[in-house]
Amino acid sequence: MLRKLIIAGLAGASMLAASQAFAQERGGVVNVATIGELTTLDPMTATGDLLGMVTQHFFETLYTFDKNWGVTPLLAEGLPEVSADGKVHTIKLRQGITFHDGSAMTSEDVVASLKRWLEVASRGKLVAANLDKLEAVDDYTVRITLKQPFAPLTALLAFNNSAAVVLPSEKIAETLSEYVGTGPYMIKERKPDQYLQLVRFDGYKSREGEPDGFGGARKQYLDEIRFVPVPDANTRVEGAIAGQYDYADLLPVEAFDRLNGQAKTEPLVLKSFGWPMFIMNNKEGMMTKPGLRKAVQAALNSEDMLAAAFGKPDFFAVDGALYPEGYQWRSDAGVEGYNQGNPDKAKELATEAGYDGKPIRILTSRQYEFHYKMAQVAAEYLKAAGLAVQLDVVDWATLVQRRAEPALWDIFITHSPFLPDPALIAPLPASYPGWWASEAKDKLVVELNTEMDPEKRVAIWSDIQKLIYDEAPFYKVGDFNALSAKSPKLGGFTASAWPYFWNAHLTK
Amino acid sequence: MSRYVLQRLLGMLTVMFTVVTIVFIIVRVAPGDPAAVMLGPDATPADIEVLRVRLGLDQPLPIQYVYFLAQLARGDLGHSIFLDMPVASALLDRAEPTFFLTLFAILIASAIALPVGIMSAYRRGGLFDQSVTTLTVLAASIPSFWLGLILIQVFAVRLGWFPVAGYGGPDASFLTRMSHLVLPATALGVVSSALITRFTRASMLDVLNDDYVRTARSKGMGELRVVMKHAFKNALIPVLTVIGLTAALLVSGAVVTETVFSLPGVGNLVVSAVLRRDYPVIQGALLVIAAIYVLINFGIDMLYLMIDPRVRY
Repeated sequence: MLRKLIIAGLAGASMLAASQAFAQERGGVVNVATIGELTTLDPMTATGDLLGMVTQHFFETLYTFDKNWGVTPLLAEGLPEVSADGKVHTIKLRQGITFHDGSAMTSEDVVASLKRWLEVASRGKLVAANLDKLEAVDDYTVRITLKQPFAPLTALLAFNNSAAVVLPSEKIAETLSEYVGTGPYMIKERKPDQYLQLVRFDGYKSREGEPDGFGGARKQYLDEIRFVPVPDANTRVEGAIAGQYDYADLLPVEAFDRLNGQAKTEPLVLKSFGWPMFIMNNKEGMMTKPGLRKAVQAALNSEDMLAAAFGKPDFFAVDGALYPEGYQWRSDAGVEGYNQGNPDKAKELATEAGYDGKPIRILTSRQYEFHYKMAQVAAEYLKAAGLAVQLDVVDWATLVQRRAEPALWDIFITHSPFLPDPALIAPLPASYPGWWASEAKDKLVVELNTEMDPEKRVAIWSDIQKLIYDEAPFYKVGDFNALSAKSPKLGGFTASAWPYFWNAHLTK
Repeated sequence: MSRYVLQRLLGMLTVMFTVVTIVFIIVRVAPGDPAAVMLGPDATPADIEVLRVRLGLDQPLPIQYVYFLAQLARGDLGHSIFLDMPVASALLDRAEPTFFLTLFAILIASAIALPVGIMSAYRRGGLFDQSVTTLTVLAASIPSFWLGLILIQVFAVRLGWFPVAGYGGPDASFLTRMSHLVLPATALGVVSSALITRFTRASMLDVLNDDYVRTARSKGMGELRVVMKHAFKNALIPVLTVIGLTAALLVSGAVVTETVFSLPGVGNLVVSAVLRRDYPVIQGALLVIAAIYVLINFGIDMLYLMIDPRVRY
């Protein structure tokens, strides 16, 4: 009897301990301070890190990325079965998935969603050009037939902006009016410029196993996630220090020391967050001369530009490779053309190219202050090489409009995250402003897109990177890190360029 | 008197029509394209053109103008391109924080400026007056966002008395929401008090030497009564004008403070709409702001009627 009591007591104690641990982890509301209000909640129609960061909590894609940036299934059962000729991709769907409105997800929803994605999403259009057929084989199988093999397909299907999210077929419209997905959290209320309130979706069916980057199991510890737009970066810093925000996104790097040693928040450095670039106008004006583009490349000193833009060396890396360490795509091909800061060579190249003294118009915006700071340093290096410079500083909306007009600029400044597949890099297609048209590039890009062997694709990418330095259609300035802050109470959180809060929990 | 009111009403309508037209033209002449902003950095020109057609931005300007006027005639301010809601609803959402922020800021500014201005005029040239002159120059020179950041540091971060920013979450009570306004209203109130203090002082100086004040004193009336009843009442007209215009300015012009404190106010709405080129919101909001200006001016004119009998004739 005594033995039974002891066993019962121990069992009760362990259950109590387990329930206490669970109680500690499940529940709570996190306030996430973001850089501003979203311009749309439709992740198919637009790109943008903030859009991807927020909408990935309520919309899901067939595939996503694991912690090593490999493609991993999300709503799909597994990776696609690809035919021997690389043209037919058969995708089995997970069963028992429900949308936030309670309806079940079937292949009909997936096909309707992908059709919209192919029509409206900029990444979808890359696939549409190569699509032969998209069909539902049965309730839980979808088949994509391509005209020719297209290796980046699964990476494109995995992306969280311009994203191939799966929506209920009856909710699909040119402009979405309801944001119903399959994600672990769903929208409860949105007050623009105030908050977007997400609550746990009780009908969510997580994948089995352990979390793995954006893939694997998605655990719903938190009751609510509130995305709060806080456009002023200093206010985000102060709000994190005061404990008003559990996570504050993208803070000024100067705030690092102030965040260190605080009780209610701690700094979080996101390594290799992105890379700024100077896009040259390959279509019209003086920069169509390859010699002049090479002169600009020779003149620029990336180290000084990055130091002016990001301050401490902890927040940038002087690196000419288009992928940082840790990516399978990393290559040193062509990087001798990077960070030259050589005004004499630049002057010589410009003279050879027949430079006539006209100012190079650099189009930039102060909405991204680091763009502007880099432009100022670049202007001094170009002047040292005898090149005249005109800085055209406008707001971002104007820049986006003007860059579409080849007559209005010679160089414009933008930046990008490190994309999981190089085929997605924005200035590669000739349709992107900058209009890099090159037979050698076209040939290599076709090879990159149609080659299904991963190792061979890495080698092809290496050749493309070398070509970028040889033809200088754009100039990569370097890598930059980003600073965010999180509450010490926020556990289970993984730092990312697109931070996510499933798997995260609040400790008491 | 009714002719005076009618004249003012006609003037209001003319101003409003002019504002509508100018806003429509300026918004569209300015560079930038809502379709490009909406589609993000990777959009191709073809994508942008398709969206322009969908939003009706490909239509000639005169046709867009006629649509706009017809819409206004129906009392419809349009539909926001980015917020996906009627402009009127977007403005209504912002009415509460903007109204109370303006009200608190004006109350704080008046509570500081009126007694200080009166005292300063009464003790003209003395130490108090000189100190007030220095302090008002200082207050007028302080950027409200800087004062806002200092207030955040002291009262929100160190003391934890007030929230740093925002306007409360989904479950925030009215009192919680109001607590979010204390620091921004103080920042705006202190900065605005400088101008009102200067006007109060100048206006009081004008009347304190007038004959009727001397007469009141010679009748043996107490100083407090002379200053408040005879002098201050007559000094009130220019002061009221400044308070009214400051209030009107705060409705739309508290943008920087609203941004620092992440308040979902009207000024914030207009600036983000300008950055995104959300034409309907820019037009609708500017129209409403212009209407508020015009109404406040009309209200001040009507107050003149009550305070100063000469206006009636």
